[in-house]
Order: sequence, then C-alpha cells, then structure tokens
Amino acid sequence: MARKIVPVTRGRMTMSACPVPEHEFGEHRGEERLIVRAATLGDALVEAAQALAELQGVHGPVADQSPWRTIEVTAADRAGLLIEWLNELIFLAESEHWVPMNFMVEAALPTRFRARAQGVVLPVAPSRIKAATWHGLRFDSHNGMLEAEVVLDV
Amino acid sequence: MSETAVLQAEVLAPWLRELPVSTAPGMRVPARIFADDVLWERMQGDRSLEQLLNVATLPGVEEAVYAMPDAHEGYGFPVGGVAAMREEDGVVSPGGVGYDINCGVRLLVSRLCEPDLHGHLEPLVHDLSRSIPSGGYANPKLRLGAADLDRVLREGCRYLVERGLATADDLEHTESAGSLAEARPEEVSGKARERGHDQLGTLGSGNHFVEVEIVEEILDSAAAAAFGISQGRVAVLIHTGSRGLGHQVCTDYVRLMHTVMPRYGITLPDPQLACAPIRSPEGQRYLGAMSAAANFAWANRQVIAAEVREVFRRAFGDAGQLRLVYDVAHNTAKLEEHGGRRLCVHRKGATRAFGPSHPETPRAYRSAGQPVFIPGSMGTRSYVLAGTDAALTASFGTACHGAGRALSRHAAKRAQPGSAVRQQLEALGIVVRCPSNAELAEEGPHAYKDVDRVVSVVHDAGLARRVARLRPVGVIKG
Repeated sequence: MARKIVPVTRGRMTMSACPVPEHEFGEHRGEERLIVRAATLGDALVEAAQALAELQGVHGPVADQSPWRTIEVTAADRAGLLIEWLNELIFLAESEHWVPMNFMVEAALPTRFRARAQGVVLPVAPSRIKAATWHGLRFDSHNGMLEAEVVLDV
Repeated sequence: MSETAVLQAEVLAPWLRELPVSTAPGMRVPARIFADDVLWERMQGDRSLEQLLNVATLPGVEEAVYAMPDAHEGYGFPVGGVAAMREEDGVVSPGGVGYDINCGVRLLVSRLCEPDLHGHLEPLVHDLSRSIPSGGYANPKLRLGAADLDRVLREGCRYLVERGLATADDLEHTESAGSLAEARPEEVSGKARERGHDQLGTLGSGNHFVEVEIVEEILDSAAAAAFGISQGRVAVLIHTGSRGLGHQVCTDYVRLMHTVMPRYGITLPDPQLACAPIRSPEGQRYLGAMSAAANFAWANRQVIAAEVREVFRRAFGDAGQLRLVYDVAHNTAKLEEHGGRRLCVHRKGATRAFGPSHPETPRAYRSAGQPVFIPGSMGTRSYVLAGTDAALTASFGTACHGAGRALSRHAAKRAQPGSAVRQQLEALGIVVRCPSNAELAEEGPHAYKDVDRVVSVVHDAGLARRVARLRPVGVIKG
C-alpha cells in the first residue's frame, strides 16, 4: 500500500560520493519509522546503522572508539537483511553497550552482508529501541536509488 | 484496504462497531471495535483498523477479532488487539504478542493515607528512583547465573519465594500465579539470556513506570472492599515487562516463523504477523519460549515490587507495608477454554478481565471479579476495574490496558517540550523523576487519549466494571 511519508527529522549527511545516503524518521503512533535512501545496498545498511545509533543517543564522530570488529548477517532477501542487521546491532548495544559508528563494507550481497565496524562502548546500555520489525518493511529501487523503510519497536 | 478508504462499520451499540468479513480480502471473521464516536474517529487516523483487518485473515481465527477502546497503530497486530485461534487448526504469532512479552501492570496498596506522605513524598520518590534501575541500567544487586536464570524462566515468581523476594500471598494475587507451567527454558536462545541475565528487577524505558498513587475515589464499594482498596490510601502502580530477554525471544521466533511458513502454506498480508500452526513443532517451541519469557516478566515486576517495599519500609517502617492487589499481563498468547473450545488467545496490549465465576479469578476476588488496571498517563488518573463474566462472551474475557496513544512520539515532542511537561506535572503536585526531557515529552499526558472516555467504553460495554480511581503523586519513568 502506498503511503505518504511525513519527514520528521533528517539524518546527518555523510561525506560519501553523490548521491549521498540519507535517512529520516517518519510518523508512527507508538514506534519509530525509519526511511533510508542510498545508491547501494552497503550504503543503505550503513546509513540504517547510523540512524539507529542516533536513536540510541550516539551522535558521531566520537573520539574514544573501540577496536574494529566484523559483523555478518544473512537473510532471504535484502529487506530481511536490513532486519537482521539492525537486530544484530540492537543485540550488541544491549548486551555489550557497544554502538558502531564507522563501517567498512566487505560484502554486500542481496542475501549476505559483512562489514567491519568501529564504535563506542557506552557506560549504560542504550535501551530505547527493542527490535526492528517486519511491519511495513520495504526495500525498493527508484531511478537507481534504493529506498528502505522499517518500523523500530520503542 | 486503501488508507483513504472509508470503512463502513455497522454500529451494534454506542460503544461497539463491527466491520464485516467483506471489508477486506481474506478476512475469515468480522472485526469488532469497542469505541464510542470519538475513539472510533481517532482510530481511523492511523493504521490500527487496517492492522486489525489483517489479523482477521489469520488461519484458525475464531468468532471475531477485537480492538479495545485504547487501540492504536502497532506492528502486525494493533496495540489493543485481541484474536483467539483454535488450537486444532489455528496459528500462534509472536508478533501478536509483541516484543515486550508479558508486559503488564501490578498494583500494591498500603495502609498509609495521603497526609502520611506530607514531607516524605519527594525523598520517597527520589529513593524509589535510586533503588529501581531504569533506562538501560542493569540490576547490580541481582545478576543471575545460568542455573538461576533457568529457574526464573521455568518457575517465574515461585522461584522468588525461595529467594525471599515474594510471598505465597503475592503468588495468589498474580495472574497465573506468576508462573506458566508451559515454559520451556531450553527454547530461549543464548542471545536472549545474554540480554536478560542482569535485567531482573529493572524498569527499562519507553512507557514503563513506577507511580505512587492516591486512591482518589471509590466507585464500587463492594469490589473495592474485596480488593482491599479504600479512599485516600497510598498505592503503587508498576508497569514493565520481560526486558531484553523477551524482546530477543520475539525477534528469534519471528525469524523462525518466516522460515517455516512456506512449509505450512501460510501467506500473510503483513510479514510481522509471521506465524506457525499452534500444534506444529515451531508453534510449540514459541509457546514454550514465550511462557519462559512471561515468567521472567512476572519475576521482574515481583523483584521491583520487593524493592518498592524496601523503600517504603525505610521511609515508614512497618506502617509502610504494601500488599499486592493483583498483577495482570497485557502482551501474551494463552491457551484458554472459551465456549467449550481450546483457544490460543492473543492479547497485544490488552488485559485479561475474567469475571467472578471464572476459576482463574483469585478466591479472594470471586465476589468481585479479577482486578483490571487501566493506567492513564503520568499526569492523569488511572483506574482499577473488575472483570465480568459477560466479557468472556464479548471479548474472550478481555479489557483494555491503558489510555492508548493519541500522538506519535515526534508529534508529542513537537506539541510540548519535555521541560514544559515536567513543569505541568510539578504544578499538579506530582514529583517526577525522568532523566530525559525528550522521553518525558513523548510520554506526556498530551500524547495519550482521554482515559476517562476509554474507561467509560470498557464499563458501558460490560468488559469490566469501574471500581476505583487513582491520582498520581509520584512518577518514576523508565
């Protein structure tokens, strides 16, 4: 079902090549609706991670960063990949208080995503976001750009 | 259903509408909505009705799906949604329970009266906020080893009696005695355990709270007497759930359901409704894990209650004793008997409301019905109600769980900054402890529907009877 997105806040633009990945938060009565746009799957997933960090109260750049680590997720398609990726980051944030901020994409395939990530360890677990849901999930292509939408449970 | 489509509902009563099976493709049962004109209008402003119609397409759904008067847009199910699936051919959907498995509310009452708080309220609320970890904080006093966590998952509140954190009376006054026998801890993943092992006795964030209340008015003397509630007494309302452990259980099983749905030939209008037959191995695994997470949630509220009791004891000595009135869940899927059939009743943001004659209503409350709590918002009244026998046929024995959100989180922040909400509450004489102004704005009274109206619909529809009204005087936000 087509639905008009009401932009609420626009995410920080990155310094990557044009077209720049971007994100915004749309309206949802009880949760957070995240919309991400990027030219590539890898950029879209990185942008989604940075939007998640923003919701978790972490705004880059940060000085005191943890070592790089590898995160890998698999799914049946790229929309599922977005869910698996965000849920893995939510798990790491809650269990290790670790929020990634910098990324090096190693593999961005429709069913597998692997990235090296570096971030910050927070004194308290960011607890605001519980999960990435499948409700209203989409991952579309428009004129060479990818646009993904996901509802995050608050 | 198009977002702009006008829904043609049949008005069955001033507080009940029905959308027939012809409303949307694939509906197997009608959708019934408990709402007056104002609440009905409001529900059409978001996706809650569309989501309810989607639920009506699920395999094995029985009789009708229901939206409670506090219903609003959720994910998969609407918040305030109820659906019962036949055990023999129905499905169980983790999304129909939600991520915060067995989120719920418990009410404790004291023998203290409002004047006893004079000069004590501010330090009392301060001590509560210091003693009960909230937000992302873990519980430094109670980190569970693997064996202890296993026992919490298997036994729920029963295990806490052994630890001196609960009494037999607490168990008697908790839904399902705070322990589901169907729990299968072995079906709870290592990731879920990792998220939850240090979170027992923590409030979390979002709309979770501990509130100090005054019983402002008794509305049903006999039921209030049965519940041990009298006017002017100090009470405490606790709202939280299964924390990260429950969230991860839901995440794990939504994923599992997606992998097995093709095998069972299930297609859905919304992937968040991912499900499996109740009697399938995957359905049984989910029910076992969900029950374990539900036990964790009851234990969580019980440990918080133990901490609240300790704070009251420090402040008031023996006079500060707190008795548990009841603890009700509002995010569960439970196998229950209805009309001679075994049904898996999904309640997503909806509270069980069994009447006086139901065997699961505590013995002490058989004259009144099971206590039901409908919190307003941190600046408005909350209500104690009593379940009715009529609710069994009207809504599978269900009432609503709160006022329900009226504004999105962003709209709430735009409408009123957190600092203004804080000032507004303080002007009402309410002591507030919330570290974040932004979260205070998201949860401010302006973000919620009119709780008086919501409760009126519940009462008029016969889902539960009004018993008492509570006024907040102290709020600790998660």
